[in-house]
Amino acid sequence: MACTDPAVAASGPVQGAARRRDGGLVEVSGLTWRPYGRRDPVLRDLTLTIPAGQRVLLVGPSGAGKSTLLRAVGGLLETADSGERTGAVTIDGMPAGSSAGMVGMVLQEPGAGIVSATVGRDVAFGLENVGADRTGMPRVVAESLRAVRLDKPADTPTSALSGGETQRLAIAGALALRPRVLLLDEPTAMLDPDNAASVRAVVDEVTRDRGLTVVVVEHRLGPWLDLVDRLLVLDRAGGIVADGCPGEVLQIHADSLAAQGIWVPGVPDPEPLRIPSGMFDQRSGEGTEPRGRVGGPAVRGEVGGAAVRGEFGGAELRGVRDVRVERVTRTIMGEERAVLAVDGVTASARAGRTTALVGPSGSGKSTLLLALAGLVDHTAGEAPATDVPSRELARQVAWVPQWSSSTIVARTVLDEALVSARAVGLADAVARPRALALLESLGLGDLLDADPRQLSGGEQRRLAMAAAVVHQPATLLADEPTVGQDRLTWAAVLGVVEAFREAGGAVVVSTHDDAVVARADDVVRLGAAAAAALPPASSPSSRLSGAARAASPTPPGRLPALPGPTRPRPSSPALSGPVDSSPDVPSVSALPPPPDPPAPAGPPSATTRRPLVSRCGPLALLGASLLGIPAGIVSPTWQASLLVVLAMVVIGGVGLWAPGSGAPPRGRLARVGVRMIPAAIGALSVGWSTWLLGHRDLEVAGTAGLRVVLIVLPAAFLLAYVDPDVLGDQLGQRLHLPARPVVALAAALQRVNSFGAVWGEISRARRVRGIGGTRSPRAVVGALSAMTMGLLVRALGEAAQLAVAMDARGFATAQRRTWYAAAPWRRADLLLVLAWLLPVAVAVVLASA
Amino acid sequence: MSSIRSTSASPAARRTRSIRATPPLLGWRTVDILTVVFLGAALGIAYWGWSLLYQGPSTVLGGLFPPLQGITGAPWLMAGVVGGLVVRRPGAAILCEVVAALVEMLPGTQWGTATFVSGVLQGAGAELGFLLLGYTSFGIGAALLAGALSAPFEVVYEWFTYWTDWTWGWKLAYGGILVVSGAVIAGGLGWLLTRALARAGALGAFPPGQEAREAGGLH
Repeated sequence: MACTDPAVAASGPVQGAARRRDGGLVEVSGLTWRPYGRRDPVLRDLTLTIPAGQRVLLVGPSGAGKSTLLRAVGGLLETADSGERTGAVTIDGMPAGSSAGMVGMVLQEPGAGIVSATVGRDVAFGLENVGADRTGMPRVVAESLRAVRLDKPADTPTSALSGGETQRLAIAGALALRPRVLLLDEPTAMLDPDNAASVRAVVDEVTRDRGLTVVVVEHRLGPWLDLVDRLLVLDRAGGIVADGCPGEVLQIHADSLAAQGIWVPGVPDPEPLRIPSGMFDQRSGEGTEPRGRVGGPAVRGEVGGAAVRGEFGGAELRGVRDVRVERVTRTIMGEERAVLAVDGVTASARAGRTTALVGPSGSGKSTLLLALAGLVDHTAGEAPATDVPSRELARQVAWVPQWSSSTIVARTVLDEALVSARAVGLADAVARPRALALLESLGLGDLLDADPRQLSGGEQRRLAMAAAVVHQPATLLADEPTVGQDRLTWAAVLGVVEAFREAGGAVVVSTHDDAVVARADDVVRLGAAAAAALPPASSPSSRLSGAARAASPTPPGRLPALPGPTRPRPSSPALSGPVDSSPDVPSVSALPPPPDPPAPAGPPSATTRRPLVSRCGPLALLGASLLGIPAGIVSPTWQASLLVVLAMVVIGGVGLWAPGSGAPPRGRLARVGVRMIPAAIGALSVGWSTWLLGHRDLEVAGTAGLRVVLIVLPAAFLLAYVDPDVLGDQLGQRLHLPARPVVALAAALQRVNSFGAVWGEISRARRVRGIGGTRSPRAVVGALSAMTMGLLVRALGEAAQLAVAMDARGFATAQRRTWYAAAPWRRADLLLVLAWLLPVAVAVVLASA
Repeated sequence: MSSIRSTSASPAARRTRSIRATPPLLGWRTVDILTVVFLGAALGIAYWGWSLLYQGPSTVLGGLFPPLQGITGAPWLMAGVVGGLVVRRPGAAILCEVVAALVEMLPGTQWGTATFVSGVLQGAGAELGFLLLGYTSFGIGAALLAGALSAPFEVVYEWFTYWTDWTWGWKLAYGGILVVSGAVIAGGLGWLLTRALARAGALGAFPPGQEAREAGGLH
């Protein structure tokens, strides 16, 4: 890449090859930003000019204000934070953020900025905000999707995209508004190498085609250096310390950047941090023979298409054999989705050895770790029991999930590190010095009394590793422990892994990180592609018991017998209890595309039999179900109420009728029954208290109890068919409710289902850390409130991220919005409301008779 | 324009009065809307869980004296208080409570769509509490008031739907009990929850987050 001196390049675009010249001139002058409650500004008197069409890589140590500067350029500083700002930021002379879609913003966490349930709607979000005409939207959506090489139908569910596809979708959403500047905040940090490469290629292509100005923040510089014209380095004080052509800047600053944790090409990978020997008790008699490891052991074989290498020495401490795990998620509407996450895999944790679990996203690595931990039920094969008491489990195994922040339970860093040690009853005289020494080596020594929730992501990751091993369980399981981390945290994570292993512990890590794999003793590669070739019954030799057979007749993530990627099952209408999921389940289709595209999870096609009531929109369903209230209030006696109930059952039954040929949908009546169970209890309770009071009169009590039944019965028939996505459309277009709260509600309803997964992860983390026991009611209340707190913190974090993404697409100024999808009031809607007025009429007639 | 918004000054001195939302009071930022709605959605799940669990304690209390069931009704008033305390703009309390009721309703509760009606009535009551204080005070007193006022509309509605055959003595006792437990449980716990969220660093963009940071000293 030719590099002009950035300081003099302001006269014109650098990219000569651009077909269009959409890029904007970014000018930052004297910008200072101090969030309220902080003494020091995050950005300090920063002045910077980025010529139109220039591509800038912005780097700096963690906490240097890189993301803050990106938000400032987008005019998004005050979107999710409050503080004091001086100075100015302009794009082509106009204040940043003064018009919708001037900049496009891509956030680090894939999906953080997803607004809608389907790909097409999501891309159209910005168009809706600027009030674009609906008829023109599909064309712009299609163009934008093509530009990011996302060749999917517009009704593809956004939840079915891989991490890389999700990031490309975010770019498409930005392109729809024809931005002048594209801002990318560590867009590939959370992705596996293939997905990361696809995102970089798309960024390169679209910005070159349109001549866009680009600012990208990354702390792995290598892959980006060829794509950028300029390298800008911020320091911890919030100022610019280096600025120029990438090659020249690196010549001078490579070593200091590496020392600050940035991954600089040409600088060797860091050595794992030396944790002082003697930190852990040496486990005896568990075969810790010496081994050469740097460079990695030789490939030992190919088992079931899963490449396996290593000696697989050492005693097996935990293992799974031919294990099959289905992950079941329940939606808020009571639908269950089962996904085959792992099938026919054999793997083990071996004393004194590190096993790296590798394979593409969605191949089931995270689920396999859960199976090894005994934290998820399996349907076939052998795996550790899932009913081990919490404290006993903590003695056996530690598990560090990808989201280390959601597992925090203590109020100080030191207490957090000691949680499991205290739970398993390890003497303070042993645990405390070990925790102190470990935290000191991991660079957390000055933060012992800090609130762990206030730490940076890297600090939280180091703390989670420390907290996992202070009580020295037999096995350490870590899920992608180095993903998105800088060199400092990388070295700390690997330091803990190596010290733990040297002391005879068994380590299993799932990873995409070649440097981690190179340091592992044994490697097990799960793969979707390998699966098809596998003869189902070929079991590995005992010598290769550590081998994984990533084995299923169809790619993992799809169940063979069923047409779609998910399998709806009749079930209780409930998020009943902790819902199972893991970080790799949402990205199940992060797999290479299956041979036949899965049917979209939207409305079933016309040939499928479905209940009449499912043709009605959410407003009609809600309105009709409200009619139980007047019916209940008006109905005068229990005899009248029974007649009204009869009318409701008939009407409800007709609504559930699914005409047509073929297999009828199952579980329709069961669903109604389940939804009536709590109502029945409520009716008994009201009836009983009325009986108690009302002169022990059974008739009065019966009337009161049946009133409850009348109020609920329509809802039991109808609410299961409310489509949360369409609800937003109807509230906005039919009821003309204010658009912004309605859109926010629709976005939240989509994410409610993921709250169940968060809850499950928090409860698993508590269990494995030894504090999952439910002994006294007080402990239960304490645990419930701690978990609710964890869920709320996570939900609020998502809201703040989403606010940035939505404002970047013009949501802040969307007073006169248009809607991508129409929300007509159909004849079926009218019929439904009229039909459910009948029971009210019956009640009125009987009351006046 | 939207993102270039004036922000209130930040005196470092300890405050005795509540920090108010960034002006204009009705200028809802995107993060305000999303936070209220997400809070409501998460609390709605908790509400749903409580709708399964509350029967036990409720039956015990009802056995002692039926109007005591008002105590187990109070947790459902919390979302309005929390929404108002966090965002501090007109409408926050009612929006938060309504979203919570909607999310609670969808999986199915024993009240069906009436859940939603209750949410509107409870949220309107909490909103009234903050309105009476002119959206200027958001301390423990305001929380108690909003919690208490979450009850009355709901109480009247329940008189005509669930407790039709009770004597007026019981009906008034039920009202009084729900008002008091609304103040203590929804108001008090809601205030504690808001403070805990602020201390966890989850409310950085909101006045409670600013209060927590200033109380904790500048760093």
